[in-house]
Amino acid sequence: MSIDLEEPTATASEAPTTLVVTKKPFKMPRLGWIFGTIWLVTLSFCALFAGQLPFIREYSAKVKVNGRAKSYGWGPGWNAWFGTDKSSFDVFARCIYGARVTLLVGVGATALGLFLGGILGILGGYYRGRIDRVTSIFVDCLLALPPLLLALLLIYRLDDLEIQIWFWKVTRPWEITITLGILAIAPLARIVRAQTISLREREFVLAARSLGAKNGRIIFREVLPNVVPTMLTVAFTGLGILIAAEGALAFLGLGVESPQTWGKMINAGRDDLAKAWWATLFPCLFLLLSVVSFNLIGDQMARRFDIREAAI
Amino acid sequence: MAGTGKAHLRDSPDVLLRVDDLVVEFPVGRTGLKVHAVSGISLDVLRGETLGLVGESGCGKSTTGRAIMQLPRPTSGSVLFENKQLTEMSGDTMREARTRMQMIFQDPISSLNPRRKVRDIVLEPLSIWKRGSKKEQGERVDTLLEEVGIDPARAAESQPHQFSGGQCQRISIARSLVLDPTLIICDEPVSALDVSVQAQVLNLLEDLKAKHGLTLIFIAHDLAVVKNISDRIAVMYLGKICEVAPSDLLYAHPAHHYTSVLVDSIPVPDPEIAATKTAIEGEPPSPVLPPPGCRFNPRCPAAQDICRSEEPQIREIEPEHFVACHFPTFTPVSISV
Repeated sequence: MSIDLEEPTATASEAPTTLVVTKKPFKMPRLGWIFGTIWLVTLSFCALFAGQLPFIREYSAKVKVNGRAKSYGWGPGWNAWFGTDKSSFDVFARCIYGARVTLLVGVGATALGLFLGGILGILGGYYRGRIDRVTSIFVDCLLALPPLLLALLLIYRLDDLEIQIWFWKVTRPWEITITLGILAIAPLARIVRAQTISLREREFVLAARSLGAKNGRIIFREVLPNVVPTMLTVAFTGLGILIAAEGALAFLGLGVESPQTWGKMINAGRDDLAKAWWATLFPCLFLLLSVVSFNLIGDQMARRFDIREAAI
Repeated sequence: MAGTGKAHLRDSPDVLLRVDDLVVEFPVGRTGLKVHAVSGISLDVLRGETLGLVGESGCGKSTTGRAIMQLPRPTSGSVLFENKQLTEMSGDTMREARTRMQMIFQDPISSLNPRRKVRDIVLEPLSIWKRGSKKEQGERVDTLLEEVGIDPARAAESQPHQFSGGQCQRISIARSLVLDPTLIICDEPVSALDVSVQAQVLNLLEDLKAKHGLTLIFIAHDLAVVKNISDRIAVMYLGKICEVAPSDLLYAHPAHHYTSVLVDSIPVPDPEIAATKTAIEGEPPSPVLPPPGCRFNPRCPAAQDICRSEEPQIREIEPEHFVACHFPTFTPVSISV
């Protein structure tokens, strides 16, 4: 019996054939990380070109009511999309400008954490023995200290030191970046170390050694490519936490001085929450969306790399 | 020492590898105890020969193989390979000498880096040693991949997980051949593969052995697999050698009680034949505290007092058939010292 596949209805009337249709289960497209990417790309773009974009007010432009600056003069509306704050600045423009510092601090701290944590983790995990002992103790010390206390101490200390290297003066944003970067070392180093330990026992590392590869080559060619996906996944998830931490520091008055950040805006507006909710809520929203976006992208990366891991 | 002695070592100019009193011990945490993985075994392999190394799981077969490669270095003993003492080498000389012997591992997928292209994996040894131009390297890799039956074009764009277990093992074999080694240590190369693929990989190994003039050390826990491929078989038990013989002799009349149980346990594909009666009892003792005397004595059907106190020495029981047992299963044809 032959079934004409192109015209199933014509044959169906003549000979009742039971066609088993395997029903594909409806698969929800993963919108989360797409949203996260769009949000972060748009935000970064706006923050970068805030001076050039026509719909973003200048950083120091005041939105006046009847020619006079008035605190919380405008609510969210056409004049000022997110309303105006206590000093009658445009909340929307300040949210965009705030993203500059917030994102830079977050990305910089993560990069620093990745670099230092990665080095510590790989060295400890690969060489074991005494090197592992020393790096592990260092990481454990970082974990044992309360992060907020460590951050406060570090920032105050760096404030006092006033380090200047060549033309590079360590200002507040740098201090926060360094502090948060140091806080990011411990979790990354732990995960990288664990991964490296499991990898170094794998036969392909033994094979590389029997082929005459030196330690450096094994680390860069065999171990590192297998550790980087995990590192990136953890880093992206951690980035959200670091951005929130920057907000927390600003909230405690340890923020960046000159440009506005989200944390500082939340701190400044919170007393008048009942009077002008927009001055606090919108920076909160920006913070929330950015943290969620980084987390969603981190999750997606974990899934993406996991497919290949599952085949091993 | 049980199962020690060197009566089975040959004095031939053709000896490619000679292992003397190899000992490998691992510390057990910080207890001060040691796992006696390999306790003084001696072996030799002639050029072009295949030595089968059999024994149950945990008897130190793989450790022996790795200790020969000096990965990790043995606790004591000497490994003489191509008339060079490997245990005394260090650094770059060691790295160089190691390339003359290669290893094929049990888990085909784990022995390939999951995040690299298969062709790059096979090319890696040449790139480490910077042998030949880029073009020559590529040609060598492609011919080897074709020899083991992997399409080079596919290998150039695929990662290990896109190949089956058997194919991955073929890729491992290709990689081990790239540097033109003389000795290949096959560490249970087929035990992770299913039976039809096992036969293919074994045949491939035989073909390549003839073509490249290789010498093989074939480690396995399955006597049936080793039987066809090996010229000589060494049976290990708990870090010691019990019996060494050419494979025909070993299967025809095993002299050690352990070997005879192993040979009897090879499944016979005939339902008419009754199951073997001589089942071995108990578990192998812990290699942390091995029993005194002959290490097989707690499970041996023929064990007597002397077996519990004195270690048997390896002796020749018939020409080319060596056994370390006080009471072998048959009487020696001629007692030679």
